Amino acid sequence: MQVVREHRDDLVSRVRVLTTLVTGVLVAIATGFWFVQLVQGDYYRELAENNRLRKLPIKAPRGLIYDRKGRLLVENVPSYNLTIDRSRSDRLEDSLEFASGVLGRPIEDLRKILEGYQGIPQFKPVLLAENLTLSEVARIGVEGLRFPEFEVEVQHLRLYRHREQTAHLLGYLGEASQAEIEEANGSYQPGDMVGKKGIEQTYDAKLRGADGERVVVVDSRGELLEEYGKKPAVPGRNLTLAIDLELQQEAARWLDGPEKVGAVVAMDPRNGEILALVSSPSYNPNLFARRLQKGEWKALIEDPNHPLQNRAIQNTYSPGSTFKIIMETAGLTEGTFDDHTTVGCAGAKSFYGRPFRCWRAGGHGSVNAHLALKLSCDVYFYTLGQKMGIEKIARYARLFGFGSPTGIDIQGEKHGLVPDPEWSEKARKQPWYPGETISVSIGQGPVLVTPLQMAEMTALVANGGYKVVPHLIKNADLPPPEHVPIDENALRTVRGGMWAVVNEPGGTAYGSARLPGVEIAGKSGTVQVIAYAQRLNTHNLPFKYRDHAWFTSFAPAENPRLVVTVFAEHGGGGSRVAAPIAQAIYAKYFGIDHGKSPPP
Amino acid sequence: MRLLSSIDGGLILSALLLAAIGLATVHSASSELPVDYFPRQAAWVAIGLVLLVISMSFDYHVLLDLSVVLYVLGLVSLVAVLVFGVVRGGAANWLQIGPWQFQPSEFAKLATGLFLARYLASLNMRVLEIRQILISVVIVGVPMVLVAVEPDKGGAAMYAPLLAGMLLVAGLRMRLLVTAILVALALGSGIWMFGMRGYQRQRVLTYLAPETDPLGAGYQVRQSKIAVGSGKLLGQGYMRGTQSQLRFLPARHTDFILAVLAEEWGFLGVAAVLGLYAVYISSAARIAIRARDRAGILLVVGLVSIVCFHVLYNSAMVVGFVPITGIPLPFLSYGGSFTMINFISTGIILGVDIRRYVNR
Repeated sequence: MQVVREHRDDLVSRVRVLTTLVTGVLVAIATGFWFVQLVQGDYYRELAENNRLRKLPIKAPRGLIYDRKGRLLVENVPSYNLTIDRSRSDRLEDSLEFASGVLGRPIEDLRKILEGYQGIPQFKPVLLAENLTLSEVARIGVEGLRFPEFEVEVQHLRLYRHREQTAHLLGYLGEASQAEIEEANGSYQPGDMVGKKGIEQTYDAKLRGADGERVVVVDSRGELLEEYGKKPAVPGRNLTLAIDLELQQEAARWLDGPEKVGAVVAMDPRNGEILALVSSPSYNPNLFARRLQKGEWKALIEDPNHPLQNRAIQNTYSPGSTFKIIMETAGLTEGTFDDHTTVGCAGAKSFYGRPFRCWRAGGHGSVNAHLALKLSCDVYFYTLGQKMGIEKIARYARLFGFGSPTGIDIQGEKHGLVPDPEWSEKARKQPWYPGETISVSIGQGPVLVTPLQMAEMTALVANGGYKVVPHLIKNADLPPPEHVPIDENALRTVRGGMWAVVNEPGGTAYGSARLPGVEIAGKSGTVQVIAYAQRLNTHNLPFKYRDHAWFTSFAPAENPRLVVTVFAEHGGGGSRVAAPIAQAIYAKYFGIDHGKSPPP
Repeated sequence: MRLLSSIDGGLILSALLLAAIGLATVHSASSELPVDYFPRQAAWVAIGLVLLVISMSFDYHVLLDLSVVLYVLGLVSLVAVLVFGVVRGGAANWLQIGPWQFQPSEFAKLATGLFLARYLASLNMRVLEIRQILISVVIVGVPMVLVAVEPDKGGAAMYAPLLAGMLLVAGLRMRLLVTAILVALALGSGIWMFGMRGYQRQRVLTYLAPETDPLGAGYQVRQSKIAVGSGKLLGQGYMRGTQSQLRFLPARHTDFILAVLAEEWGFLGVAAVLGLYAVYISSAARIAIRARDRAGILLVVGLVSIVCFHVLYNSAMVVGFVPITGIPLPFLSYGGSFTMINFISTGIILGVDIRRYVNR
């Protein structure tokens, strides 16, 4: 056997030295335990048994929200809650009797509440009652000296000053869900109130700030002995919105009332700032600030008009004749038609062996690009659509932003739908029928858009081909708008046609949207809810069978500063119902008194 | 089986007793937590025992021969964790493979120990030359830096005792040792100023002056000391610690398990546990001393250095001697990768021991 020396003895002696060293340190640490446990043991045992360290949260005040002119939209108001620390009560029954007297509630109710907290340590204060009146707070303050177990906690609730009028855009708060807590990676605690919808949700991180805490030493009776440490709360940041409260309120007024279902979007086409965003019917978000009663929630959920839905972004509708804006831009850009191409309209035209009617039974005669929009001639667009084909139509509709969310800074936006043969195969498992292209040409058929997408499309026409990202926050940090490859001359012709709709005699909204003092350009749209043949008289039709009304527009016609899109669900005719609402918003914006107020 | 009869009883018994005490304490520590970690930890210990037997049955010379491959694999997994890692508690040091999550840094540490032992064993010198020391530093430094950028500085720090223990035993010149300590002090102050995040610096500061951060780490130190101190000589009794105090300790089933034990079993419990660690360490030292060759000595020293550091640091932390860091206690603290790795290294140490008479 070959013996390798390997300097073994050196290694072994070093191992011995190291082992001794480690053992020495271990003994030193054991001595440390001996000191803490035996020499200081009584001190620490007393701390453990008689004194307690408690962490008390300091809630950060949530940021306020203002409109573009600095008008307060949301504020925080104090609300008083009654808590009880059961470990400090001499006799729980006496405590409850006192509370029952102050609150005017039967003692059995209070007993039942406490039973729900049985699993929670006695010294942890538990909630007994919410939203105390000031006189109740005062009584507890005065008589409570005998009952140190009670404490009135101040909690700040959100107060939405304009209630229903700003509900969909501001959103509301609710208790953080388990999923939200996990997703937030430590910034939410169970029980935290967090933004659930709208601005409150999107900008929750900014608005909420950071809660602080106090660590206090209390004795066995819960009396505060000393403050051990304090980390102040960082208040939430205030937000300024692009919203103009006056426009918002004007739009809300016009959509307020029974059978007034719809949405209004007002946007600056130059930068995408939303000046008004209204959905009707609405709800009172202040109900969510405190615990919602069961009946209230049920009523909101079961309302057939779904007031919680934000129709401006969450509902999709056929665009109707407003789609002709896209059709004409596409046709002129592609060179399928030029400004002077004319189509003869005799009230109907046959395609693929089937007659397609123009909305005007008598026909429009010879129609060019300008007249096609002004008169909203269906036959012109049927003809154009057939020549272009569905693929091109779909491509332009997407260029205008249809079929994908606009990227507005509130959640829940719907995609809408731009149909093409590929979609038909995939989603409907059936081929695309050529006749459908004809229907799509006037905005019927499977095309679906949100009112916000409609506003974005209109802004693109108004600003000369720039796709702006709609946003509610003022001074948003956004990339510069993207320029869409659309012929500038085509857009000019389309703008001229939209100007004629409102300002030339014979235009479809000449009687309903024209506003002396500012030139509005727009396009109306009427979406049939039931087939033409079944209709008798629009006025006498039950609400749910009435047509949907669109009006999308911008002003001034030269260098537009405002886009207004109005959608009225089952409103009836677009120019008759939707156009006057847009007109009223322009009147407000440009400071013109046009002497009209919402119909009752 | 002549091999099995020569197993070192001190090492295996102390490890088993510590694991049993750990299981009981984990159960008590989780009594106020949403889940009882006892069944899971029991499963880890069971798996650990199997791994112990497996790693003991390998001839450590084979492991050393394979160490290059293992080392490279370890580095690859550390890089993988940087790219695909699952973030937990601020550091992306978990790798998810199917339903399994594990911490490659633990396995890389073991591979690094094997590789370094092989390298140092090949040098038949009384004391190491500078070049050899530098190579050793690089061997340990590469995985250490990879772990540090995860960023898991606590995990990276665990490579230091491995390197230190093995170099000290392999042999350093006294003059060099003194120089190294001075350089380390200089480096330390450099890291303090440029390499540490606010919270890490805060932890050190809190150690030096706990009242500066009574809400964060100082609060934990105080809670830990209240728990330890209130145990006195005999403890408050099993499952009867005033958990109202420990409820505020975020990691009482892992990093602060000794505080739970100290509160419930008193100084006697702590002394017993520290005694068991002393038995474990001295048994390992005995195994190193009687190992057959240089490689065996160095391997055992490297592995036991890591255990020593964990034990010394964690117990010192619980009693308030050193700043709070996420360094768990071997065999006692809850944790899958950590428990398994401790049993594996115990297995390897036993493997060195049972082959002390065998010629290759």
